[in-house]
Amino acid sequence: MKFIISILLLTSLTLSHSCFADISIVVNIANGRAISDTEISRLFLGKLKKFSGGDSATPVNSKAGNAARADFEKKVLNKSSSQIKAYWSKRVFSGKGKPPTEVENDAAVLAFVAANPGAIGYVDAASVDASVKVVKTF
Amino acid sequence: MKHKIKILSLFSALVVSSVQAEIVFNGFANIVAGATTSSDETLYGFDDKFDFKNGSLFALQATSELGDGLGVTAQIISRGSNEWSPEFEWAYVSYDATDELRLLVGRQRVPFYMYSDFIDVSYAYPWITPPEGVYSVPFDSFDGLGAIYSTSFGEFDTTVQVLYGANNDDLAALADAPAAFEDLMGLSVTINREWLTLRAGYIQTNMNIYLGDPNENPLYTGWTAFGYPEVASNFVIEDDTGDFIELGFQVDYENVVLIGEYTSLTLDSTPIADADSYYVMAGYRFDNIMVHVTYGVDDDSKDPLTTGIQPDSPQLAGLIAGTNIFTNSLTEEQSYYTMGLRWDFHDSAAIKFEYTSFSDDLDSTNDSGLFRTAIVTVF
Repeated sequence: MKFIISILLLTSLTLSHSCFADISIVVNIANGRAISDTEISRLFLGKLKKFSGGDSATPVNSKAGNAARADFEKKVLNKSSSQIKAYWSKRVFSGKGKPPTEVENDAAVLAFVAANPGAIGYVDAASVDASVKVVKTF
Repeated sequence: MKHKIKILSLFSALVVSSVQAEIVFNGFANIVAGATTSSDETLYGFDDKFDFKNGSLFALQATSELGDGLGVTAQIISRGSNEWSPEFEWAYVSYDATDELRLLVGRQRVPFYMYSDFIDVSYAYPWITPPEGVYSVPFDSFDGLGAIYSTSFGEFDTTVQVLYGANNDDLAALADAPAAFEDLMGLSVTINREWLTLRAGYIQTNMNIYLGDPNENPLYTGWTAFGYPEVASNFVIEDDTGDFIELGFQVDYENVVLIGEYTSLTLDSTPIADADSYYVMAGYRFDNIMVHVTYGVDDDSKDPLTTGIQPDSPQLAGLIAGTNIFTNSLTEEQSYYTMGLRWDFHDSAAIKFEYTSFSDDLDSTNDSGLFRTAIVTVF
């Protein structure tokens, strides 16, 4: 019984976590463009390789298993982590493309975005600092 | 042995080059177990003894980006059905000419079907394998040139793939008959917008398949002796043309998945039937579990080879009758239902269960039931 309660507690904690963490989409400070939700999702799915103005875009992923990654996939891409994994395995094993570069955590995403003018990433809204520009928060 | 040496030398070549460029390894594996429900039934290579080998495979892919849009990829698959002997199923140099255009030179998949490109990556689709009734062309790969052009019209993502090449592998599906598919060429177009994907493909190839000494085939020798070489030529596959058409759709809307594919294979002037096949599938996702049901039909037939030939003699009449019996025997009408469940129990792995009920509408002794289960993973 105690076990079941702790599982329930754990589940509700996990659930509330994934429901309440806001995800901020961040770009380089020098990037002045407005970016639509569809563009964000298409950039991260490899369907779009440039920002609408024509500059090359470099999306960066947070490592698989990070809360920000799961929340981003759920809220912005509207897919589960397994669905995204299946999507990329189709492309990787058929020579059609590869998933965005992966970095360790929110801090590494911010560092990557701050250092690369074309970068676009996502972090927990609470992690955002002045080194990047937030284009949208989900 | 020779094969192993080749693989080793390729790997060492890749490893040596890694001094300059990073190599990324990816892989996938399917462990499939299956058995038919009764002792006199066989289906898709399974019989009533539980088998773990027939559908199982391991694959490893090595990719290296060499810079300036150039890349090298090799994918090696070991299949239980092939005594786990590793085979190169993809081995190509890719070049990203522009953001939209990618060229592949080397060994790659023929884009016959919607799932051809990743036909062995069971993790990437709901079933354990795509419906065998439709996915029935006896080879998957070719050696040659492929061009993939991907572009967007508004929110419509379009991918156009063209290919030209050949496949000279022996045909495992025809008792390792020596075969040559030359001038293999084709086009596939895929259009995707949010939840809807539409696809069409056309592939054509010149075919030479050795089916044994034609002089031991009485139909071949008979028509040759009666002075009808054009009829006799139907019993050999020499410089014949195969045509393949595919149409497919996929709807992935919230928790509902609908998939359908129709294919038509035409093999004029050969002793092999033409085939029309389709399946439709409906699935529903409950969080990390998906249930699905598929219904499929295969119709095989051969046009008569003796139309317009006058039976001038009893011998010729006998040959015509024998030939008609042969072409009629190629007629098949089959259908099947598959019920399946996929459970994504892990971020990189899924368990699948499937039951297929197969009906042969012309010979019910071929009816069978097949239960399969699989663990599939990507890494």
